[in-house]
Amino acid sequence: MEERSHILNILIKVREALVKKDYVKIKSLSNHVIHHASIHQDPDVISIAVIIYSLSKLIERESYKTEKNWSKFYNDFCKNIDDMITALKNKDQDRFHDEIIQNRKLIQGLSGRLKIFINDVFRGAKINKASRIYEHGISMEKTAKILGVSLWELAEYSGKTRIGDVNLGVTMPIIDRIKLAEEIFSK
Amino acid sequence: MKYLIFDSGPLINFSMNGLLDLLEELKLAFKGEFLITKEVKEEIIDHPKTIQRFKLGALRLQALFKRGIIKHADITQNEVDELKTIRNNLMQTANTLFKTKKRDVHLIDKGECAALALSIIMKRKVNLDVPIVIDERTTRMLCEKPENLRKLMEKKLHTSIKANTKNYDSFKGFKIIRSTELAFIANKKNLLKMQDPKVLEAVLYGLKFKGCSISEKEVKDMIRMGR
Repeated sequence: MEERSHILNILIKVREALVKKDYVKIKSLSNHVIHHASIHQDPDVISIAVIIYSLSKLIERESYKTEKNWSKFYNDFCKNIDDMITALKNKDQDRFHDEIIQNRKLIQGLSGRLKIFINDVFRGAKINKASRIYEHGISMEKTAKILGVSLWELAEYSGKTRIGDVNLGVTMPIIDRIKLAEEIFSK
Repeated sequence: MKYLIFDSGPLINFSMNGLLDLLEELKLAFKGEFLITKEVKEEIIDHPKTIQRFKLGALRLQALFKRGIIKHADITQNEVDELKTIRNNLMQTANTLFKTKKRDVHLIDKGECAALALSIIMKRKVNLDVPIVIDERTTRMLCEKPENLRKLMEKKLHTSIKANTKNYDSFKGFKIIRSTELAFIANKKNLLKMQDPKVLEAVLYGLKFKGCSISEKEVKDMIRMGR
């Protein structure tokens, strides 16, 4: 992973923001990871973007916090972030990868309503990050494959954003495109 | 015979908006065939059939496929092999077109490149342009204004992007429309069944909000032109 130092730096900042429960900062840090993820398309970096964004949502919302096992889950999640930081500091790529797998196991190990809530948060985070990568100029199909989401959910989510309104995305005057459509249907 | 090739986005969009009947009417008005590639079938039918949330939409598209409203191109094994070669070449070219300081940026995938490759093959077969319906932004920008795509990526990624500009031409010449232009045509031909002056506006926004990459201004211009 070429961007080790960058990811390390971001995870350290996430850990600092966690102490202050600063979910806005954590969310913004997940977007920093996405710039790199769009270029490198490294599965571990993409997972980190999803994990960080999910973490921001977990802190932001209050509804989970009364659920049984929440405290243990949250503490294990924070320890998992610490272990990722240690792995990156030690330049131990295999261990870092194992910690990402461990993060998934934390969710798999849950049960009841908390498992449903957390799964929903992670699913939402994946779609959100996919939409951001598409916004950065990577095609919808490519993005859906990178994140492991369906084209259907990505199309639905990205349609609600302002991605289509970027001026650079208008590649032909609308009058010309309509003329083209009319020609296609007139011959 | 005339052909119109569909990428997955517009078909997913029509399905999610409950507009698949319109597709059938449009095909009659087109007086030709609506084609999809194997990759697109996987994305619009085979894969979503395994997802509870999208199963119904996939089954509706499957019904259209079974009735031949959308179909695979009738091409020989040699042409299939050629399609794969062109698809892979386009993918290789697209995915080495833009470079950051350290690496190439992978832009597009098999499905999008297969639609472009099929257009090339069918154009040669029938000696007519074979347009493509694409809702997603990247492939359209790559074909119509690759320099805009480079600038967009540079802006969004906060890094310098160098382009292999001599390869821009590999994506020139494709005729592209979106689901919104199909809706515009449907309105013009009175195929939108609802008797309401706002129906075009409603359909255009429905398509925009389900993933068609079109700006607010373009939608407003289309509504004005459709009156």
